[in-house]
Amino acid sequence: MNKNLRITNNKFIDQTSRISFKFDGKTLYGFKGDTLASALLANNIHLVGRSFKYHRPRGIMACGSEEPNAIVQVGNDASMTEPNTRATEIELYEGLEASSQNCWPSVNFDIGAINNFFSPLIPAAFYYKTFMWPANFWKLYEYFIRKSAGLGKSPTKPDKDIYDHRYLHCDVLIVGGGISGIIAAKTAAKNNLNTVLIDDKNILGGTTLFQENECFKINNSYSNEWLKKEIETLNSLKNLTIKTRTSVAAYHSYNYILARENLTDHLDLNEKKDKIRQRLWKIRAKKVIIATGAIERPLIFNNNDRPGIILSSSIKKYIDYYGVKCGQKISLFTNNDSAYETAISLSNSGVSVNSVVDIRDKTNSLIVKQAEKLGIKIHWKSTVVNTNGYKRINSIEIMKLSDDSSAVVGKKIKEECDCLGMSGGWTPRVHLFTQSGGKLKFREEDNVFLPDKSNLEQISIGSCNGDFELYEVIKNSASSTNKFLNVKNIDYENLEIISSKEMDKKNIWLLPSDKPLGKTKPFLDFQNDSTANDVKLALREGFKSIEHVKRYTTTGMATDQGKLSNMHALGIISETAGVKMGELGTTTFRPPYTPLTFGTIVGRNVGEFFDIIRKTPIHDWHLENKAEFENVGQWKRAWYYPKENESMYDAVQRESKAARDSAGILDASTLGKIDIQGTDASEFLNRVYTNAWSKLEIGKCRYGLMLNEDGMVYDDGVTARLSENHYIMTTTTGGAANVMTKLEDYLQTEWPELDVYLTSVTDHYATISVCGPNSKKIVSKVIPDLDLSDSNFPHMSFKNAKIDKIKCRVMRISFTGEHSYEINIQSSYGKSVWEKCFEAGKEFNITPYGTEAMHLLRAEKGFIIAGQDTDGTITPVDLQMNWIISKKKYDFIGKRSLYRSDTIREDRKQLVGILTEDPKEVLEEGAQIVADTNKKPIEMLGHITSSYFSPNLKKSIALAVVKNGKKLKGKKMFVPMENKTINITITDTIFLDKENKRLNA
Amino acid sequence: MLNYKSSINETKKYSEINMSEFEPVVKINLRGKKRDFITKIGKSLSIIIPTEPNTSSSNENLNILWLSPDEWMLYTNEKVHKLENNYNLEEKLFSEISKVNLGSVTNVSDHWSIINIRGKNTYELLSSGCPFNFNKFKNTKGAVTQTILNHVDVIIHNKDINEINLFVRRSFSKHLWSWMNDSARFL
Repeated sequence: MNKNLRITNNKFIDQTSRISFKFDGKTLYGFKGDTLASALLANNIHLVGRSFKYHRPRGIMACGSEEPNAIVQVGNDASMTEPNTRATEIELYEGLEASSQNCWPSVNFDIGAINNFFSPLIPAAFYYKTFMWPANFWKLYEYFIRKSAGLGKSPTKPDKDIYDHRYLHCDVLIVGGGISGIIAAKTAAKNNLNTVLIDDKNILGGTTLFQENECFKINNSYSNEWLKKEIETLNSLKNLTIKTRTSVAAYHSYNYILARENLTDHLDLNEKKDKIRQRLWKIRAKKVIIATGAIERPLIFNNNDRPGIILSSSIKKYIDYYGVKCGQKISLFTNNDSAYETAISLSNSGVSVNSVVDIRDKTNSLIVKQAEKLGIKIHWKSTVVNTNGYKRINSIEIMKLSDDSSAVVGKKIKEECDCLGMSGGWTPRVHLFTQSGGKLKFREEDNVFLPDKSNLEQISIGSCNGDFELYEVIKNSASSTNKFLNVKNIDYENLEIISSKEMDKKNIWLLPSDKPLGKTKPFLDFQNDSTANDVKLALREGFKSIEHVKRYTTTGMATDQGKLSNMHALGIISETAGVKMGELGTTTFRPPYTPLTFGTIVGRNVGEFFDIIRKTPIHDWHLENKAEFENVGQWKRAWYYPKENESMYDAVQRESKAARDSAGILDASTLGKIDIQGTDASEFLNRVYTNAWSKLEIGKCRYGLMLNEDGMVYDDGVTARLSENHYIMTTTTGGAANVMTKLEDYLQTEWPELDVYLTSVTDHYATISVCGPNSKKIVSKVIPDLDLSDSNFPHMSFKNAKIDKIKCRVMRISFTGEHSYEINIQSSYGKSVWEKCFEAGKEFNITPYGTEAMHLLRAEKGFIIAGQDTDGTITPVDLQMNWIISKKKYDFIGKRSLYRSDTIREDRKQLVGILTEDPKEVLEEGAQIVADTNKKPIEMLGHITSSYFSPNLKKSIALAVVKNGKKLKGKKMFVPMENKTINITITDTIFLDKENKRLNA
Repeated sequence: MLNYKSSINETKKYSEINMSEFEPVVKINLRGKKRDFITKIGKSLSIIIPTEPNTSSSNENLNILWLSPDEWMLYTNEKVHKLENNYNLEEKLFSEISKVNLGSVTNVSDHWSIINIRGKNTYELLSSGCPFNFNKFKNTKGAVTQTILNHVDVIIHNKDINEINLFVRRSFSKHLWSWMNDSARFL
C-alpha cells in the first residue's frame, strides 16, 4: 500500500484489519471496508483494463454500479470465475483474485492497442460495412471477429456456488437507502406499514453519509451527523426490514420487483463455503418509493478517457469514505457546483488541488465562495481541450471559451496533474421508473429527464426525482411520502437546513477543442468505445432515431447500458439534428439494472431440481429392477428393463415376446383418472366423447375418443360405468391435467346446467396391468375370490374386489391386444400388489415390460397413441375410426368441425399400416413417404408415425399417415433415406389378431 | 397380507422447523351446489361447511377445507389404522350424498400426501418457493390456500401458529420433499 495515498482520520474503513488480495497476479493490500477499486487506488493503480475496440488504457472512473471502465475478471477457478464485474462494487475480502480484461498479454503491454493507431480507419459500423464483401468470405471473417469479440472469459465448468430465491410481500418498498430513502422508510414504518428498505451498498446513508461540509447543515450539525442519528432510529422500528448489498434488477408491472442480494461475495474465501452466494428476491409491494439518487455525468472533451480521469463525486467518495487519495496533484473540471464539494473535501484532507476549470462565466454560490476562501484557483469560462499521459494522465491543456462557447480562444495553458475530476452535472436514476412503464418528462433548465406519469402505485423522491439541493431533498421527500402513504409524519417539518444553492447552470454536451473534431477522441460510451464523432457520423449517414443511432454506434449497449453515456449521446444528437431533447425521447431502459449472474436467475432449480419429477407408487420396484426411465410429461416411467448387457432393442424384443407368449406386467399408474358423478354424467360423456354413452351397462367399460373444437383428436381412454350416475374416466398420461381443466372449464362456462362433478383421482390409484395368455391364472392367484370366467367377466367389463381387506377395482381392458387385467388399488398398496402379482406370475415367467414394449405391442394391434400417431391435425375419420363417431347424437365437442369442407376432403392424410419389402428393414419414425422418386420436386405424401420390429410377427411394421391412404391399400411406395430408398407397401393398420381372439380368449 | 407404503415416511428437523409426513389420513373430496348438500354434510358430520373462500372449519375429528364454491376437502385429524383401511366415513357420506344425487363424494386419501410443517421457520421455508402472500394467512388459524411450492400445486392449511398441513399430490410428494429438505438446510 502506498502510505501517502491513505489518510488516517477515516471513520468508515477499519485500518486495523489488513486484507491481502491479488490483482493481475500481484499481491496487494487493502483494508476491511474497501472495494477493489478503492484498494487499487490506494495502491496507486489506476490502469485496470483496456477498452473494447481500441484497447486504450482505462482506469477506474466511478465508485458504483455506473462504472464503465474498471470491469474485471474475478477468480481464476474454471467453475467460479466471473467476468465483467465492476471493481467499484467488489467488496475486498481475504483471498480475492482479480485480473484485467480485454488485454493480451497484459494490461500494461497489450498487442490489441494497435487498433488505437488505426482508429481513424475503424469508425462506427466498421464491421458492418467492411465484412459484407464478398458475401461468401463471411465464414472466414467470422472466425477472426469472434476471436477478438467479447469481454472477459466465461467459466468453463458448472458453477459450484449455491443461489436461491425468496418471495417477499410488503406494504411499502423503498429502493435506495440514501437520505430520501431513509426519510421515507422511517415515515412508512412509523405508521405501521410493513416496510422494506433496500440498498445496493453495504451500509445505508448514500452520499450524505460522508458529507461533512459547512455548507450543508441540519439543525446545526453536519448533514452526515444528522443522518447518522436518523439511521440509528431505524433500528428500533419493528415494521422495517432493511436489506443492504441488495440491488434491484427489474421493476415489472403491478409492482413486481426482482432484487439480487449478495450474501457471501464480501466474505473471505473460507467463510463463503456451503452458504448461499446470491439470492433473488421476488417482491410484491403495494406501494413503491424509488429513491435511487442520481449519477454524475462525465464531460465530453478530447482524450477524456485516460486512467486518472475520474468523476469528481467519486474522488470525493474515495477521500471522504475510503480515505484514499486518487492522486497527489488533482485538477477538477466542471460545469456545476458539485466539483467544489470535492475540492473542499480534498483540501480538508490535505490534498493539493491544482485548480478548478469551470465552463461557467462566474458564480457566487455558498460552496464556490467557500472554495475560494480555501485558496483554490478557478479558471472561469474555460475548458479542458486535451489531456496527456498514455497509461495515466500527467497533464491537461486548458483554454478559454469564446463568448458563445462554440469555440476556444486565447492561449493554451498546460497544467500538470496526476488525476482529473470531472463533473458534467447530474442524471437522475430513472431506470427503474421507466422499466415499470413510467413516462418521462424533460426539464430544460438542467437537461434532465424526470419521472412523469405512471399507472402504478409508486413515486420517485430525492435526486432521482430531480431534487438536487439538500433542503429540497428533505422537504420534498418528506411531504411526497406523507401524501403518497396518506400519513402525517411531522419529524421533518421545521428543520433548520443550511444548504448551498446552485445559482448558475451551463451545459455544453460536446466541449469545443482547438483541433478539428475528426482529430480528437471525445469518448461518450467508455465501455463500448464510441465517441461523439461516431454519433455525428451516424447522423450524417442518415440515422435519425435515437434507437437507430444507438444500435449503429453501439453507444449505451455495453454492460453498463450507457448509465454515463446516454444523456450525452442524446444531447449531441439533438444539437446536431436541431431537435429538442424532450421531443427526441430516450432509449428504452431494460432490466436488469446491473448484470445478474445466471445462478441468481436459476436459483436452486439446478440438478435434481431442474424440473419437477412425478413418480408412481411402484417406482422403487422399477429402480430395484434396474429399469431405464422415460420422461412422459413430468412422470418418470419405466421404459424397459435391460438384463445384464442387454441393449434396449433386445430388452424390448424380449419383453414384447414374453407378454404375448405367457405374461407381462406393466405399471400403468400414470394414466389420468377422473371420477365423474352426477345425474347428468351420461349426458356429459355424450358431449365430450364422439361415441354414445347412455346405453353403457353398469359394470362395463368403453373406449372413447375426445376431440378438440376443431374436430381433431385430442385425447382417448377407457371409461367405466360404476353406477347409474357414476363413471371413472381414464385419460392419456400426458394429457391428464389438460383434459381435467378442459372438462371443468366446459362445465363451468358452457354447460352450467349439467349436474356433474369431476374429481381427479390420478394419484389415488396405482394401476397394475397384467397381460398375456396366462394373465387370468395369475390374477386368480392374487384375488382367489374373484370369478374370472369369461362369461362372468368378459372383455371391456370390470369387477369390484378386495385384496386382503383393501378394496380394488379390476378392469378387463387391454392396450396390447392380449387378454389382460388392470388392477386399480389405493396407491399405498400399489407396490405390494405389484409384488404379489410378480410372485404369482413367476411360474409363468411373468415379465415386467416398459413403455417401449407397450408401444410396440399396441402397434402390432394397430391401436393409436394420441400425440404420436396424431398431431392435432388428424380427425377420427383420418384414423379410419368412423365407427366411433355417433351419427345419432345431437352434438359433441368437435362435431360441427367434422363436416367442414376441409375435414371431409377425401385426400386428407389418413392412418395406414406399412410393411417393408425387406421384413428386417425397420423404418425411421418421421421418414417421408413418396410414390414417385423421379418427380421433381419430389412429392411427399405422408410420414411414418410409429415403427418397430415385431418379434411376434417376425417382421418390421409401421403406422403412417398418408394422403388418401384409405384408398391406397396394397399400393407400393417408397421411403427415400439418406443412403438408400426403402420399398414399402401400404396395408391395413391391424397387423395381429384381427379377429380379437386373443382379447376375448 | 398387503404392505402399506406411504410415499415419504420420514421426519426431518432443521433450524426452527420440523417436517414430517402425516399419513395415513382419510381424505374425501366433496362437491355439490345444492343447499341440501351443505345442510346434509353439516348434520351428518356435526361440522359447519365453510362457505367463505380460503377458510376451513374443524371439530375434534375432522377438518373441512374450502377449495372452490362447490368443492371441499374433508380430512381426519387422526391417522387411521394402516392395514384395516377405514372406509366408514367414505361409505357413510357416499350413501348420504352421492347415492341420493346431492353431489359427489370421492375418496382421495392416496391422491394427496400430507406433510406437517411446524416451527418458527415454517413460513421462511414457504417463501423460498411459494409466491403466495402469507402475511395475513399466518395469523389466521384455519386459513386455507391453494398455491404452488417450487412449481408444484399444493393446498396449505393453517393448523396453528407456525404449524401447517401441506397437501401435495402423491406423485409429486417425493420430489417436493427433497426440495423442502434442500431449502430447509439453509434456514
